[in-house]
Amino acid sequence: MKHANRIITALILIFLYIPMAVLIVASFNTGTDITEFEGFTLQQYVRLFQDDKLLGLLGNSLLISILASGIATVFGTLAAVGINSLNPKLRKLVMSLTDIPMTNPDIVTGISLSLLFVFVGTTMLGQKESLTFWTLLIAHITFNLPYVILNVMPKLKQMDASLTDAAMDLGCTPVQAFFKVTLHEIMPGVISGAIMAFTMSLDDFVISYFVTGNSFITLPVEIYSYVKKPVAPKVYALFTLLFLLIFVLMAAMNLMQLRADQKRKETRVRVETEGMKVFKRLVAVTAAAALVIGCGWLILHPAEEKVTLNVYNWGQYISEGQDDTIDVIAEFENAYPWIDVRYSTYSDNETMYTKLSGGGITVDVIIPSDYMVARLIAEGMLLELDFSNIPNYAYVDEAFRNTAYDPENKYSVPYTWGTVGIIYNTKYVDEADVTGWELLWNKKYDDKILMFGNSRDAFGIAQYLLGYDVNTTDPAELRACANKLKEQRPMVQQYIMDEIFAAMENEEAWIATYYAGDCLTMMENNPDLAFYFPQEQGFNMFIDAMCIPTCCQEKEAAELFINFLCDPWISGQNMNALGYSTPISAAKDYMDPEMVESELAYPSEEILVNATSYAYLPEEITQLVEALFQEATKLID
Amino acid sequence: MAKELIRLQDLVMEFDGERILDGINLYFNDHEFLTLLGPSGCGKTTTLRIIGGFLTPTSGKVLFDGKEVNDVPPYQRQVNTVFQRYALFPHLDVYDNIAFGLNVAKVDKQEIHDRVHEMLGIVGLKGYENRRVESLSGGQQQRVAIARALVNRPKVLLLDEPLAALDLRLRKDMQNELKRIQQAMGITFIYVTHDQEEALSMSDTVVVMDKGRIQQIGRPEDIYNEPKNAFVADFIGESNILDGTMLADYKVRFFGRNFECLDKGFAPNEPVDVVIRPEDIDIVPPEQGHLVGTVTSVTFKGLNYDIICEFRGFKWLIQTTDFHPVGATIGILLNPEDIHIMKKSEYSGMFGDYSSYSAEYDELTEDAGNEED
Repeated sequence: MKHANRIITALILIFLYIPMAVLIVASFNTGTDITEFEGFTLQQYVRLFQDDKLLGLLGNSLLISILASGIATVFGTLAAVGINSLNPKLRKLVMSLTDIPMTNPDIVTGISLSLLFVFVGTTMLGQKESLTFWTLLIAHITFNLPYVILNVMPKLKQMDASLTDAAMDLGCTPVQAFFKVTLHEIMPGVISGAIMAFTMSLDDFVISYFVTGNSFITLPVEIYSYVKKPVAPKVYALFTLLFLLIFVLMAAMNLMQLRADQKRKETRVRVETEGMKVFKRLVAVTAAAALVIGCGWLILHPAEEKVTLNVYNWGQYISEGQDDTIDVIAEFENAYPWIDVRYSTYSDNETMYTKLSGGGITVDVIIPSDYMVARLIAEGMLLELDFSNIPNYAYVDEAFRNTAYDPENKYSVPYTWGTVGIIYNTKYVDEADVTGWELLWNKKYDDKILMFGNSRDAFGIAQYLLGYDVNTTDPAELRACANKLKEQRPMVQQYIMDEIFAAMENEEAWIATYYAGDCLTMMENNPDLAFYFPQEQGFNMFIDAMCIPTCCQEKEAAELFINFLCDPWISGQNMNALGYSTPISAAKDYMDPEMVESELAYPSEEILVNATSYAYLPEEITQLVEALFQEATKLID
Repeated sequence: MAKELIRLQDLVMEFDGERILDGINLYFNDHEFLTLLGPSGCGKTTTLRIIGGFLTPTSGKVLFDGKEVNDVPPYQRQVNTVFQRYALFPHLDVYDNIAFGLNVAKVDKQEIHDRVHEMLGIVGLKGYENRRVESLSGGQQQRVAIARALVNRPKVLLLDEPLAALDLRLRKDMQNELKRIQQAMGITFIYVTHDQEEALSMSDTVVVMDKGRIQQIGRPEDIYNEPKNAFVADFIGESNILDGTMLADYKVRFFGRNFECLDKGFAPNEPVDVVIRPEDIDIVPPEQGHLVGTVTSVTFKGLNYDIICEFRGFKWLIQTTDFHPVGATIGILLNPEDIHIMKKSEYSGMFGDYSSYSAEYDELTEDAGNEED
């Protein structure tokens, strides 16, 4: 029995720590593939410390965690003292009230706080930008408070109430009694509360995501938008360091407790007490100094006389100067030194739309996809562009003007474009079978097929296969598509999005459909992979375009930024790094020739003859498609 | 005449509509050792906490040197308290605990050193300066608590059942110690206890309280010998209390017999309570006794036997050094000085009958007393 217990304990520990071990090992790996250890290197750590952006985000996260946990500890401790002095009935009531935010799902807390901040900031105070660093700080303090109270409360209850009476009896005012006696008694609870609050703050994503604008971003929020591409190995290095920080913090706390317990048993020597006092004062002074410097930095930092331009883009969708590429934002800021770019990211069109329509943030430039541009135009959420500020628009190819989503070229300037096709593994798939979209329905490859995990793209494929218009609003046609997808369901291994990289590269699946630019990346990593355009049946071609939303504050600077991205040299360098296609042919002169000649990145006119793009569908059709998709792909119970 | 220090005027205290103190009038003199004595819930600790400033009375006045101090907080009063469970600060050593009040008052370091060492001498803890308070025994912790209060040279020291947590032997030692310290320091002690023996042996003045009211104030001997009502008679020591009638001055009738006594000043034929202390009763052969009864139980108590004896259906407690077996018929003799007469009160008929007496009775009441507050 004892043996069994030990084995179970060991298994649990292994289970808990294996993910961390994998991450730590990956951070020292020379290769980028997490499944294969190629050699030991510290290169990822060097890259991490060269990456000012990532370090800046880490700094933001640490700043918010330290400030929020510090303030929450002070107020939480005071609140606990107050609650403890209430009569028992009221105390119980207040305690359950303070516990609720802890059990509340984060997403509920996040959204309700966000609504409150926008209401107060925008509606009552008339601010243009109500979601800022300060709202983020207030939100973090809010969700940290219960943890502090929860840790301090039991210590207060354990404390002999006559200790404070005794202190007052000996001449202490209530405030002195708190600092000279109560605080010493409850200190272990205060410290563990503070550490808990700090770690909660540091790793919070959900609440932060809803209450912050694009002016101040924390690390978890940024990392979330990295899902478009595989996570860069330097992020593993960052996580390893964060894990070590928490580990050291927890170990230090436990050691302190252990030493305190031991001391309690021994007789104390006076000199040691003095030493302890000096140490405690040192810690207090350091913490206070850090707070003051932090606040000072915050207050002084935005005081520069600069125009701030808020750019809101997909994650990993601009060249950031890694591996001999250019840093587009830095280049822009060099060219226009009076403009300071605040760059933030989203993971998909719908997220961006939700955030924008929620209000309370200032955004000057966004880069949505075609159908989303149409929706934003239809809902009056975009400003007309002043093309006299965008002379580089002249470089944009004729094929990307007068598009379906912006027929009069009033609201948007194309940024990139791309296509959707079939990727398959030549080792397992018979070339004779590769004839069109029906490959994804081929029973021969049962359970080796991957399908789009989003309704629009999945229906698109069914529509091309059945010969319908991809923008059809006919419910009968849509139902037929749903039936086609239902027919495919038993053969599908998984409905996925970004997980496709690993699944195809590791040959877990053999056939899939995805965006051509990303397929290019997968083919580089596994030479057995091949790409196919079902050009007879047709396929989706998408354009992501730069727009200026109505909440814009710096329209002229925004237009300068759009113009800058249309510069052929900048666009060429940018697309080189991203792997997507440029709508500016002149940019190809500055690009890697291999990329320019790729049929995949730049399919010829004849391949594109049947390519179509998605239009904005009426709301009820979008909902119908979504419902049919859920029904068709639902797992068999 | 000693100088008056503190006066309580018509003190009333209510918690949630429940009346804890019901019109307390009391004064405390300089250099006096005064004890508030009563059972649990009688209001004695509440009275002490009002004097200490931890509670504000619902109505009535607290006067220090003639000035009202109802709203003066504890840290501005010239009193210090020794708490029931000592309330020593666990994060400080013995020296720092004692020096706490002086440090708060920002007294000169050298003076603090001198005064703390002086106190350590007085309470007999020299050499214990740097010990952690948790490493001390109960008695030693109690001494630290006393030193910590006295080092501030208060005019009045409040002690809230300070010996309740100590074992019997230590309690006796500390009683003597406390009395010695009080005399050496020459200050007023206000002492709260439910232990009548403690109260009688240490105090200059005893205040017996029950149900939020003062039942009797007096010197220990007076309280014992001349209890004012059945409650006091029963609470202070053991008493047999009987219904009687005062026929005339020095003449009382009970149990169908006339007895001589030393009391006077009652109306003719006024019904009274008659108190007879168990140790005052002389046992004689049946034929010589005023009353004749049968022994129903005997308990050996060390110094004496507690005998329960039945007289015509009424059971008496008698304390004697001679053994009489159960079932023996004995006679008793009552001298005039053994009989105390009290006016009838709300407590008449509630105490003084030993029909349900058992040896555990004493311990039960003592435990109940310990639970106060």
